[in-house]
Amino acid sequence: MRWLIRRVLKKGKGSVSYEEDIHYGEVLTIGRAADQAIFLSDLRAALKHASVTPTGSGQYRVESLIIAGIRVNGQITYAITVDAGAIIEIGTTRVTLLDARGDYDAAVEVAALDKSEQAAVSALRTKPTSLDQTWIAKRWPSWLGFLVVLGLGLLLPMASHFAKPLDTVLRHTPLPSLESWSTGELDAAHQFFGTDCSTCHQHPFLMVRDSACTTCHKATKAHADPALFNIPELGDARCATCHKDHNGERGMVDRDQRLCADCHVDLKSRSDGASRIADIGDFGNNHPQFHVNLPGWSAAGEFTPKSLPWTAGLKENSGLKFNHEIHLRSDGLNTPKGRRTLDCASCHTPEPGGAGMKPIAFETMCRECHALGFDTLAPERELPHARVEAVVYTLDEFYARRALEGGYADARAPTIVRERRRPGSPPLSRQEQLEALAWARERSREAARTIFTGKACVTCHTVTPPRGTDDDWKVAPVRVAGAWYVEASFTHARHATMTCNDCHAEAERSKASNDLLIPGIENCRQCHAGANSASGKLASTCIACHDYHRSPLLTLDKQ
Amino acid sequence: MHDSILTHARSRYLWVAIALCVISIALYVWHDPGIAPNGGTWLGYTLGTIAALLIVLLLLFGIRKRSYSTTLGSTRGWLSAHVYLGTALILITLLHCGFQFGWNLHTFTLVIMLVVIFSGFFGVYAYLRYPTLMTRNRESATRDAMLEEIGEIDQNALALADGIAPEIHGVVLRSIENTRLGGGVWTQLRARDGSDLAISKVRAAIAASSTQTGKAPAPLKAGQTIVAMVDFLAGQADDKKTEALRKLIDMLSRKKSLATRVARDIQYQAVMEIWLYIHVPLSVTLLAALIGHIVSVFFYW
Repeated sequence: MRWLIRRVLKKGKGSVSYEEDIHYGEVLTIGRAADQAIFLSDLRAALKHASVTPTGSGQYRVESLIIAGIRVNGQITYAITVDAGAIIEIGTTRVTLLDARGDYDAAVEVAALDKSEQAAVSALRTKPTSLDQTWIAKRWPSWLGFLVVLGLGLLLPMASHFAKPLDTVLRHTPLPSLESWSTGELDAAHQFFGTDCSTCHQHPFLMVRDSACTTCHKATKAHADPALFNIPELGDARCATCHKDHNGERGMVDRDQRLCADCHVDLKSRSDGASRIADIGDFGNNHPQFHVNLPGWSAAGEFTPKSLPWTAGLKENSGLKFNHEIHLRSDGLNTPKGRRTLDCASCHTPEPGGAGMKPIAFETMCRECHALGFDTLAPERELPHARVEAVVYTLDEFYARRALEGGYADARAPTIVRERRRPGSPPLSRQEQLEALAWARERSREAARTIFTGKACVTCHTVTPPRGTDDDWKVAPVRVAGAWYVEASFTHARHATMTCNDCHAEAERSKASNDLLIPGIENCRQCHAGANSASGKLASTCIACHDYHRSPLLTLDKQ
Repeated sequence: MHDSILTHARSRYLWVAIALCVISIALYVWHDPGIAPNGGTWLGYTLGTIAALLIVLLLLFGIRKRSYSTTLGSTRGWLSAHVYLGTALILITLLHCGFQFGWNLHTFTLVIMLVVIFSGFFGVYAYLRYPTLMTRNRESATRDAMLEEIGEIDQNALALADGIAPEIHGVVLRSIENTRLGGGVWTQLRARDGSDLAISKVRAAIAASSTQTGKAPAPLKAGQTIVAMVDFLAGQADDKKTEALRKLIDMLSRKKSLATRVARDIQYQAVMEIWLYIHVPLSVTLLAALIGHIVSVFFYW
């Protein structure tokens, strides 16, 4: 076995020369001992460091003879089979295994590494000793984070505002859609269009316009005419000044008293006298006495209520005569059905919705005791509780029939009326007819007189008898007001835990119907305080009773 | 009296941050918007603007750090302000949002900001504690000096070992081969001197060989070099060799302690730097999120 050992000698800059040697033997030994085939004087080589044996198929087997191993092709190893071209590094010596050439069975090249090559090798093998030499970095993660967040968080949702199909797609992926821009939950009533942000946010970078709101809230009333009341807070107010969405399902009504009181506490001066209502600041300590709507009629007889400040003992002319005290007697009243004790609920029942009470109805509440019978000879007949004409017609026609039929057993009636007409008897003569009709007219007028002024109508109504034959009975118009406080919304339903007497205590003692039994502000202040619940009372702000959107003339979309 | 970044200029920025926090809390408590406090009230807008400007100011620290010629405050002063104002930012942003959170871009911005700030807290801890540890560990040397000394010891030990016996020489060679300082991120942080890495490489080399030589070494442990030598020592009776071996053991012990110190030095430096790899990229990400937050809020005003 002939080995070619070629040593590389570097003389001067760049010039390289070779020195060739022959080694005979199966195994090529490398080490610092004198008997090694390749002698290395480097202290980093062991005396007997390694051996190289050709395998016969063009490969070499390199084996380490020490426990430190040997570096072949950059890796520490103990035994390895390599092809030609493999490099063994020991200290500053590089041994390259070459393929067999010429007469030789095997060949190696031995080169000493110069300083720069050594530095390069050690640099290659040196491990990073500080973090900036490792793979982690600050720059590319920064760019990545910036672009990803800007793209997915801002640009993609913004694009989907302009391209709705993109928004639909995004909402079905885990990627952020416009939903990720929402700053809070929508009002419960707005959830049904909540996935389409541009329903309200119609123009980018512009605040939500009123026109977006009035698309649905068309008939919302204005508060007051800004042309009449020149106040900036009135005219400049947008819907969103008071109603801000994205604050949860509980709704957008703002109950803060300052929204009202900030203007109304000095409204007269603020509106330069245009406002005629009192200055109001707080229900508890700065609210005038209520103004009550009382019934009234114009000269022409039209119902024209008048508004007066409430005072104790204020009288209300409803046109009706009624004595509460008698009706509410604790020992009861005699009724056709026996002794009965009445209470408030016998006549005053809440209307559907519970705000006020149902109107008083004669038919259901009074007739049972106050029957409108008019003739003892026909006790089952009662007059309708209707207009004067209808009553008079009823009487006329009743007595006309009695006259025609006969058999009316009144001693004062003429014979022709008293006699009962039998089948087959001759028809009445003209003379008899006139007599009968005259009686009927007379009788009916008498009955009317009795009813109107004697025992029935006059009990409760103010009746004016006719002045002449062409005149009619007149009954004064009756209006039990129904809504005494029109500017505030009071509802009995929310006060169902109280009794009638808690607020309407005078009713039991009221003998006259013109007693105003509706309480004033002091009654409400027993329980309701202003915005701050002082001494344990119920905190009530302005909108507890009043509406902001109340203008009878203007709606918001036309304002 | 040494001024740290926390006590710079008599803790001026601590007082600035405290004043900012106290004023913000006072305003927040006094302000009654009528609805739940949120970023859209006038106080919300004000606090939001202050917070955004603070974030920009804090980001500018990175630029000030590299502006070596400017005299606009000292870097330490800027860092002191950066730390205190960054801490105050937590409170200001929480008051700005009125403690309202949701699964949206806005809370995402807040969360990224909080991660940035808390990683910064670690940085403050590292900057206050580790320089002292590093100085103590170095014992008035520099890392390069220690590495040079290790190299010298390697040479000397090799020469000495060669004079004793070939086996000893082999053992010393192995020890030199195994001492690999530095490594990847995790290796640097754990202060390994690379012996274990060299061990696993050696094991892999053994496993990769097609046939085993008769002398496959046993798994290596730290200090086994010394043990091997003590074993050898026990088997020898020659005085001169014993003397030389004792000297070699001393040298290798010194090398081991030096290697440990260098590894610890690398570790301290790595700990002082590692948090910045979170803090800096996330603060740039925060900038993107902040831009998104502000633009989106006014896009759907």
